[in-house]
Amino acid sequence: MVELKNVDVHYKEGGVDALNDVNLKIYDGEFVFIVGSSGAGKSTLLKLLTREKVPTSGRVFVNGYNLSGLRSGKIPIFRRSIGMIFQDFRLIPNLTVYENVAFVLRVTDRSSRYIRQRVPYVLNLVRLNEKARAYPTQLSGGEQQRVAIARAFASDPGLIIADEPTGNIDPELSYEIVELLKDINKCGTTVIMVTHEHDLVKYFGGRIINLKKGSVDFDDYIGGSNEGQ
Amino acid sequence: MKGSNFSYLVKQGVVSVWHNRMMSFASFCILMVSLLFICLAVLFSLDIGIIIGNIEDTNQIIVFVEKETPEPELAHIRDVLDSFDYTASVDYITPDKAWEMMQDEFNESIAGVFDAIDEHMMPHTFTVSLNDITKTAEAAERFRIINYVEKVNTPFDFVNFLISIRTTFTVIGIAILIALVAVCIVIIYNTARTSVFARRTHISIMKHVGATNAFIRFPFFIEGMFIGVIAGAVSWYLTKITYESVVTLFASDIMLLDVLGINNIIGFYEINWLVLGANCLAGAFLGAVGTVFSMGKHLKV
Repeated sequence: MVELKNVDVHYKEGGVDALNDVNLKIYDGEFVFIVGSSGAGKSTLLKLLTREKVPTSGRVFVNGYNLSGLRSGKIPIFRRSIGMIFQDFRLIPNLTVYENVAFVLRVTDRSSRYIRQRVPYVLNLVRLNEKARAYPTQLSGGEQQRVAIARAFASDPGLIIADEPTGNIDPELSYEIVELLKDINKCGTTVIMVTHEHDLVKYFGGRIINLKKGSVDFDDYIGGSNEGQ
Repeated sequence: MKGSNFSYLVKQGVVSVWHNRMMSFASFCILMVSLLFICLAVLFSLDIGIIIGNIEDTNQIIVFVEKETPEPELAHIRDVLDSFDYTASVDYITPDKAWEMMQDEFNESIAGVFDAIDEHMMPHTFTVSLNDITKTAEAAERFRIINYVEKVNTPFDFVNFLISIRTTFTVIGIAILIALVAVCIVIIYNTARTSVFARRTHISIMKHVGATNAFIRFPFFIEGMFIGVIAGAVSWYLTKITYESVVTLFASDIMLLDVLGINNIIGFYEINWLVLGANCLAGAFLGAVGTVFSMGKHLKV
């Protein structure tokens, strides 16, 4: 579960209030879209959830970890409980598709045998088995993002945080990427997806959190236009 | 850490050397040149110490004793000379031997001059070598007051010159070494920082997927160490070539051989493995530590 209690984030540089008294609960197994214009506080919120930042005041809980008081030595352990997907994919360029996905498992000290079984399985989920030996630069944007999704899902995390995962790919492939995330969500993984593509949000529907000037402006469920398809 | 992960990280470290070949080459060159300079500086300063030591060994105090000195007194004088704390050795030269030596030393062209000189004019002579030439003045004063001693000859100017040379070389040598090591560390640290900066995204990805700092550092550590060992081995070879060339150049001068005792300086073959081992170890240490310490800022994600 993800919970923010009375969270304020204030940047000393420029005296900006990035988040103001944010209270939020996201339950296990939910799929949530976070939307908002530039400067609304989306990036700051994600940085809080991945413990890149600590709030100026208030408390942040993710997967049972109190991130406000988390010691630096425990941060890697916490991060293994989440999967991250970035707009710019962030694949390691000198590793093959297989190695990029396996890397997360090596970090968590999984056995070679487990890695040999798990990596082909997740690559199969994102339909990239045949590209296992390719390097990221040999793939299209959509394929690279699918590798990033496979990597995020490889360690079977309880929560996947996707930061504008469709921002750098063709619009028609965006739907495919969200479909993949929806499939992962159906397996029980909580998914938080930050996006500014309103068409996607309207199409898929579900729980929408709209941030405006550092505060939660809207938090409710909407019906998607794909329902019934 | 599992064995398979350990070997994976070692492999990653070695493979990274090739993937980041431009920065690896830059680090290699800096390390290699630094180690070459340090190694040559150490070897030549050791040699200068040996050369000065050789000159010191041949530097003797000559004590002339009256011709009429009785035999038992000569033995006593020898004992007194020997008992001085800094005496290394005492040699006695009989008047006859001194006469022969003087004749040998002069050119045959003036050999006729010796016919006119009384061959019994030579005094008894003791040559005293000290193990610390800074005590020459003190020794001369002590020897001068011994009964029957006629004269004490000390090459004071030369002794003072040697002492000042040795002090200067020691001070300059240590200063150069410290400066070289400091410059090396700064350059290696900055080269490593540039190399790590080029891979900051890579490090940031590792941090985001939950890698510990030790896990991230390990391949960089191996990479730095690998480059360092190769730089150490190459610098050893270049040190060998440079050192042997310089020694050969000086050794061709017979006078230098005799006066300075250059034939006693360190032969590279004697310390071949020591230099190779020290260079590789120093290279590995500097390469690994430089790389690992320069990562600090990028690990704070």
